[in-house]
Amino acid sequence: MVAIQSPDAATGNATDAARQLRNRRIATHLGIFLAIVLSWEIASRAGWLDPLFYPRPSAILQSFWLIYVVNGNVWYHLGVTMSLVFAGFVGGSVLGIVLGSLVGLNGTLRRFLKPYVIVLEATPRIAVAPLLIAALGFGVTSKIAIIMLVCFFAPFINTLSGVMNVNQDKLELFRAMGASKWQILRKLVLPDAIPVIMAGERLALTAALSGALVAEFIQRDQGIGSLILVYTRNLNMASAFACIFTLTLLGFLIFRGMEVLDRTIAYWKHEEGRTRVSARRRKAMEGQS
Amino acid sequence: MKDQIMAPDTVAADIVVSGRGVGKTFADGSVVALKNADFGIKRGSFVSLVGPSGCGKSTLLRLVSGLIAPSSGAVTVHGTPVTGPRRDISMMFQKATLLEWRTALDNVLLPTEIAGTPTQADRNRAMDLLKLVGLGDFAFSFPAQLSGGMQQRVALARLLQTGADILLLDEPFGALDEFTRERLNTELMRIVAEVGATTLFVTHNISEAIFLADQVFVMTSRPGQVAKIVDVDLDRPRPLSIQTSPAFNALVADVRETLGAV
Repeated sequence: MVAIQSPDAATGNATDAARQLRNRRIATHLGIFLAIVLSWEIASRAGWLDPLFYPRPSAILQSFWLIYVVNGNVWYHLGVTMSLVFAGFVGGSVLGIVLGSLVGLNGTLRRFLKPYVIVLEATPRIAVAPLLIAALGFGVTSKIAIIMLVCFFAPFINTLSGVMNVNQDKLELFRAMGASKWQILRKLVLPDAIPVIMAGERLALTAALSGALVAEFIQRDQGIGSLILVYTRNLNMASAFACIFTLTLLGFLIFRGMEVLDRTIAYWKHEEGRTRVSARRRKAMEGQS
Repeated sequence: MKDQIMAPDTVAADIVVSGRGVGKTFADGSVVALKNADFGIKRGSFVSLVGPSGCGKSTLLRLVSGLIAPSSGAVTVHGTPVTGPRRDISMMFQKATLLEWRTALDNVLLPTEIAGTPTQADRNRAMDLLKLVGLGDFAFSFPAQLSGGMQQRVALARLLQTGADILLLDEPFGALDEFTRERLNTELMRIVAEVGATTLFVTHNISEAIFLADQVFVMTSRPGQVAKIVDVDLDRPRPLSIQTSPAFNALVADVRETLGAV
């Protein structure tokens, strides 16, 4: 009775065990999180932490309720910041990819531009932000320019190296097939560079959020960055913290979104993507024949 | 009409690839990769190029493919001098060099796409070729999902996709294990006979060279040259066991002697 076990029962036990392990892990994580929050709350109430600078978790929770529901003022600023991030990221990375391809494919251009690229790489991009504002004036344009500036470099460098480091064996294969330059670019160089370019895009997106905040710290008229400034100046630290945690969540969502995008575009790098496209190609072939 | 004017005598017409005084010097002129090679390859025959590293066998293959130009002499294919890559020649390398973002089927279709827009007939042909190399069930798999041997099979199907009647193979199974290589060699012989292509096969393995070929070009180095052409008069189809026969061993001894004599 005990020795003989059907395979079903065995796998059933296995999944049960896995589920139990998972539940225990989730419980541990929750426990640690609650412990941190609780000790913070206690330390604040006991007077070990100055509640002026380190607001109680309960107060932060209250602020969330206040700025999201009661006043609802955070939504507008959130929208402003997100539009900036989006516009600057798209503008900066498109510019980076296009220029990176051009410079990567043109040896002469590369030789003459190299010193400037090195100088630009060594300069902290954010230092140029005040100059951009001086040149373009206060407003959305200079903010987007700042974000574009911080978003430009990673896609530019990655596209450049991706396009330059094309696999020599594949290049010889294309030459032996009598492929034209345009065919080599479209069917080999660009697809070959996509994973590297996507890695650059990930860096750019992280930079975009920081760039937007810096732009809003300098021009504090609207956006989450200026809202944080206003709250800290009024010593409303709980609301400032609520804004910061909002940005944490936002950063996380952006990161996950980028992962989804990466799996869609560089599908062959992920098992799940290969399976998906494989099924699609099979269906297309069966539909035609 | 043009063909009639150009057609030489009947013996020469049977030669599809020929070289007259073909030489190749690399770099500053000090490295002689190939010196004064004369050869003629008959339609539908299988020729192995065998020799040590640096004997110019890969150079000779690349000269025929049009990937590089000779420093002296000329290579002629189907009666016209080779000046660059051409559609009646198809080439396969030691590495499978598949495009990771394409399925096996789309990789096989690549040469057709380079030549123009693939039709349904081209797609069916690619599918049939994948079945021919034993990968019918893997047409929609990506290279990352295939073993090294399977990847070379895809490359073999891609080689045949163009319908070119001259096939150039540069140590195509050299990176694979012994067992996989033997199996693929046997299949290569069967397939090449089936499509009736003229084949040039580069290898540094003497037994492999003889086992596959109608003719073995024995090449020696410094400078690279065709030292001897050995005819292989063994019946086809050839079982793997033929490699232990006295006739086979005599051929091996002949090639070895040529290689050791220099």
